[in-house]
Amino acid sequence: MITEKDFGRLIQRTLLAGVFLSSLLMLAGFGFLAAGLPPGRALLKAGVLVLLVTPAARVAMLVYGYLRGGEHYFALASFMVLALLLISALV
Amino acid sequence: MTEFTLPLFLGLLGFGGFIGLLGSALGVGGGIFMVPFLVLVLKLPMHQAVAASLVAIVATSSAVAAVNVERGLANIRLGITLELTTAIGSIVGALAASRLPAGALQLLFALMLFPVSVLMFLKGRRPAAAPAVPAGPGTAFDGAFFDPAAAGHTPYRVRNMTPASFVSFFAGSLSGLLGIGGGIVQVPVMNLLCGVPMKAAAATSNFIIGVSAAASAYVYFRRGLVPLEITAVMVAGVLAGSFLGIYALYKARSEKLQLVFSVLTLLVGIKMLMKVLG
Repeated sequence: MITEKDFGRLIQRTLLAGVFLSSLLMLAGFGFLAAGLPPGRALLKAGVLVLLVTPAARVAMLVYGYLRGGEHYFALASFMVLALLLISALV
Repeated sequence: MTEFTLPLFLGLLGFGGFIGLLGSALGVGGGIFMVPFLVLVLKLPMHQAVAASLVAIVATSSAVAAVNVERGLANIRLGITLELTTAIGSIVGALAASRLPAGALQLLFALMLFPVSVLMFLKGRRPAAAPAVPAGPGTAFDGAFFDPAAAGHTPYRVRNMTPASFVSFFAGSLSGLLGIGGGIVQVPVMNLLCGVPMKAAAATSNFIIGVSAAASAYVYFRRGLVPLEITAVMVAGVLAGSFLGIYALYKARSEKLQLVFSVLTLLVGIKMLMKVLG
């Protein structure tokens, strides 16, 4: 089982981790760009990508949390949202 | 490409900060202001403006949702269920947008701003009274949160999930098509149709728009339409504004703000329309 509080904290940490990692990458990207070094744009792109993956990671945590909590309806709904995100990344 | 200068950098950062504040106060992504700003002020092509706006919406949603989920304000069960139809709508909208010319998108955007302005005005004038908890069996979507403005625990029932899911599809397609999160539709739908109190509706909408904006943003990203430098600076501003807003505006009343934004939206709509027609 997973308590509602732990679940909330898991979601919160996933979102914050994504936001901070992406910010770090973008900051590094700007540093490189300002110094005129080549990896600048690649780092910015990685930062944007990490940010865009963050909501998907959050949905993946919802799948996990609802499965652990035995709420199969919501686990299924979360899984379907995750599948839709995957589809949108491929079309 | 736009020349990247210090004033542009600072301007984008400041504008991003304003959007972040707006996002945390009203539960909207701020796309209704970001897209016109990028098109009218920075002269960015419409598709790139939409793409940049979507990425910034993901940023504000992720930052604000992190805190709202922990506070118990965002109704995750309601959110994930509405995300289903919203995500489908977002993909359809983004695919449609990539086939439409920039002029058509700008016209759609300008036209959309007028009803949005009216909606904001009405919401600002008549702050919704706290709905009474109706009798009868509850559903899995029902929620409760602690409201510091009312200094009490506010339980609520959620109703009309089926029509709400349909409207969410529409909100999602707006997101993909025009680069707005769709919060401008989701908040009133949850508040008026589902009976979710305003604060919880704003928080849940914020939770949802992260997924709808991401679903559309993937489509734009794969097509190489995200302007990296501009987006990254705006995201930095948005994140700073969001975190500031979460703590500064937790106890604030948003009605006055709605009236100000209603007028602002109207002006932006007129300016956009003039650009398309002029």
